[in-house]
Amino acid sequence: MERLHLEKELGNLRLKALEMGSLTEKALSQALKSALERDGGLAETVLDGDTEINRLHCAIDESVLSILAREQPVARDLRFILGVGQMAANLERIGDQAVNIAERVILLSQRPALPHNPLMEELALHVQDMLRRCVGSFNSDDADMALQVCDMDSRADTLNMKILKHYVDFMIQESRAVERAVHLIIMARCLERVGDQCTNIAENVIFMIKGVDIRQTCRP
Amino acid sequence: MSQTVKMEARNLNFYYGSFRALEDVSLLFLEGQVTSLIGPSGCGKSTFIRCLNRMNDLIPGTRVEGALTLDGENVYDAKLDVVELRRRVGMVFQKPNPFPKSVFENVAYGLRVNGIKDKNYIAERVETSLKSAALWEEVKDRLHQSALGLSGGQQQRLCIARAMAVEPEILLMDEPCSALDPIATQKIEELIFELKATYTIIIVTHSMQQAARVSDMTAFFYMGRLIETDKTETLFTRPRNKQTEDYITGRFG
Repeated sequence: MERLHLEKELGNLRLKALEMGSLTEKALSQALKSALERDGGLAETVLDGDTEINRLHCAIDESVLSILAREQPVARDLRFILGVGQMAANLERIGDQAVNIAERVILLSQRPALPHNPLMEELALHVQDMLRRCVGSFNSDDADMALQVCDMDSRADTLNMKILKHYVDFMIQESRAVERAVHLIIMARCLERVGDQCTNIAENVIFMIKGVDIRQTCRP
Repeated sequence: MSQTVKMEARNLNFYYGSFRALEDVSLLFLEGQVTSLIGPSGCGKSTFIRCLNRMNDLIPGTRVEGALTLDGENVYDAKLDVVELRRRVGMVFQKPNPFPKSVFENVAYGLRVNGIKDKNYIAERVETSLKSAALWEEVKDRLHQSALGLSGGQQQRLCIARAMAVEPEILLMDEPCSALDPIATQKIEELIFELKATYTIIIVTHSMQQAARVSDMTAFFYMGRLIETDKTETLFTRPRNKQTEDYITGRFG
């Protein structure tokens, strides 16, 4: 009595989610590379690539709705399907953050560069690592790896606050650079949000695997 | 929600001759709750439900071991009045089985068997029971016509009314919708929601969706054993046992 049809549908859903994860990782990585190299052309690529991420998000939503309606899944199947739906929404927002960053790069690449900020680079590498790990934890059903991602979020928050303070101080001294510094503050904020969305995905992965809701907001 | 234990099985074993159909089943039923028993064919769920009002006594060569209590009293006590037990623990079967009598007489039957002769009281109980079974509006103008002329869904609700006429405390339902179409099934399920305010309901079902929809608690049986029991919501979202998970997700064997 194996439910081969459902297995196939779940397999397809998993593939779509992994494809979306991979495209989102690529978008974030390209956006950050374009920022580091002040490459407006590469930033444009990120903007173009977002269409495919959005299309996959819609396709996943459609599959989720269809499987729920036709198969009435329960237990780990139900958790998986709901989890993938949530994960797709978070990946789509990460894609949007990559676009936000790329848009700033397009503006900033036409203006003189501000001094290199190692904190910004650290934050970029940190959230990229978070994204890689949360998608990896989904791929390998690894709840421990997902939990590590949740623990990484506070570092992203700290780095974002440090960057904010750095550029506020910088703007006091360099009033001509205010606009560029504001864009950099927004970029850091985008990265911090990516960290939050990776945490959401990791929490979802734990829910899919263990059926436990570890979100702080859901605790009494 | 009341937390009073209405009925409880402790290490219940049941034998058909030398075949052990139930192995050490311990399960309790709380008052005012609906409990579903699920599991593949031959898992013992129907045997178990039939132990609860001693329907299995009618099968020769069977034997029960272990404890079964109703309000703390031993159901298998030799001195227990089995007719009274079955009045308190009513049953509705898989296939609607109205008697070849009028609608009215079907519902009145249990009252008459229990020695009640007051015509006004009987008429009142018949009407109340038919209303409780959500059938009154459909049959009030044909009370004295044969029950066999009713549709399958109506016949099943008549059987529920018949069971309720004698004011039981527990209602056992053995796959009550398996012979019914989706609309008749929906009516029975709605009825279960209504009835749980008054009765403790135990339902055997092959439909996992039905168990998920109607019951507060679900118990999963496999090969004569109780594998897992939990709140329905928990059992269908995060079962603890792998066999339960494999069964409810359709990955069995």
